[in-house]
Amino acid sequence: MNLKDPEEMNVIIGKVLRYGVILSATVVILGTIGLAISQGSSDTSGFLNYNPNTVPHDGLDVSLGGLFNGLVSYSPFSWIELGVILLIATPVARVTISVLLFGAERDRLYVVITGVVLTLLLFSMLVTPFIPGFHA
Amino acid sequence: MFVVEFITLLLLISIFAGVFGSLVGLGGGVVIIPVLTILLGVDIHFAIGASIVAIIGTSSGAASTYVKDKVTNLRVGMFLELGSTSGAIIGAALAAYTGSASLELIFGLILLATLVPTLMKIGEEIPKNPELKGLSKRLGLTGTYVEKDGSLMKYNSEKPVEGLAGTWVAGILSGLLGIGGGAFKVLSMDLAMKLPMKVSTTTSNFMIGVTAAASAGIYFARGDVDPLIVAPVALGILIGAAIGARLLIRSRNVTIRKAFAVVLAVAAVEMILSSLGVSV
Repeated sequence: MNLKDPEEMNVIIGKVLRYGVILSATVVILGTIGLAISQGSSDTSGFLNYNPNTVPHDGLDVSLGGLFNGLVSYSPFSWIELGVILLIATPVARVTISVLLFGAERDRLYVVITGVVLTLLLFSMLVTPFIPGFHA
Repeated sequence: MFVVEFITLLLLISIFAGVFGSLVGLGGGVVIIPVLTILLGVDIHFAIGASIVAIIGTSSGAASTYVKDKVTNLRVGMFLELGSTSGAIIGAALAAYTGSASLELIFGLILLATLVPTLMKIGEEIPKNPELKGLSKRLGLTGTYVEKDGSLMKYNSEKPVEGLAGTWVAGILSGLLGIGGGAFKVLSMDLAMKLPMKVSTTTSNFMIGVTAAASAGIYFARGDVDPLIVAPVALGILIGAAIGARLLIRSRNVTIRKAFAVVLAVAAVEMILSSLGVSV
């Protein structure tokens, strides 16, 4: 694989996106099958209550510990959440790989551009949720 | 409604949304949100959370094909992501201080207004190719892709600063309302940068995943990403995006432009209605 070949960039980025999507879909499918088996004939009204006064609004534990416990005990909801996290992580992986690929091409201008995009993306995802006044 | 019914229904609708979203570069939220709120009676917050997931799914699902087939212009996309990600952060900060209804009305009216230039060039298969110069040249905002008849399509772009400004506005809109960024991204590339329509929609499709991911953290932490809703949405969207991506490669630019005009009109009307208190 010649990383200096710009054509390779399309192939690699295409693969990163494809594998991310396949992995995430597989995990979501596992969770959905579990949900259909365990709760398939329940009424949806028990699951779709939006409560503006509690965080999280859907009453499910979205903390890392809660997610881990749910995965270990094969809670379908937690497996679906993991799949969704993998889906959200796919574009982040794509931007990260782009920085590295432009670095391999010795394209400084685009290393800076994609590096700034990655910084802004991580700041927005991981930092702004904890800044008071953001996302009211 | 039973859980299995709900999942099946939403899966089928999401496939449709994924096909459309991946063709026009808007991500399918335009279809998903009204279906969830009006048809299924789901709270708007859950609908927006599902739309964020749908946008990321459409983007990654279709882009894996578009990037491999080189219809997406990676450099244009990555350059414009500077605008969309910085705009998304500003939008998220503004959300605390501005009434979203009035802004929604303004953006809805702007979208409606952009229908005029879009309709004026509705029959345009290939734009008049500008000369590559200045910043566009320095940034390498040019490209080639293979048309469906096998011919090599070479194109340049112009007005990168205007394009960046447009995607910045798109980012603000995404950060503020969680939706609507895709339309401004396509319009920036189509109207300002004069890229071929397929390049504009597929490059927008490439970018919207990053913009949506930027605000996904907060929706997730708030519990707006409900597993029962997003599971069928994510799966359906991914199936739809795979179908849409194959359709686009075989479509003419004119066809994509017509589909975009329809979705643009729907998105504008939805946004205006929503600002007036009609829940869509």
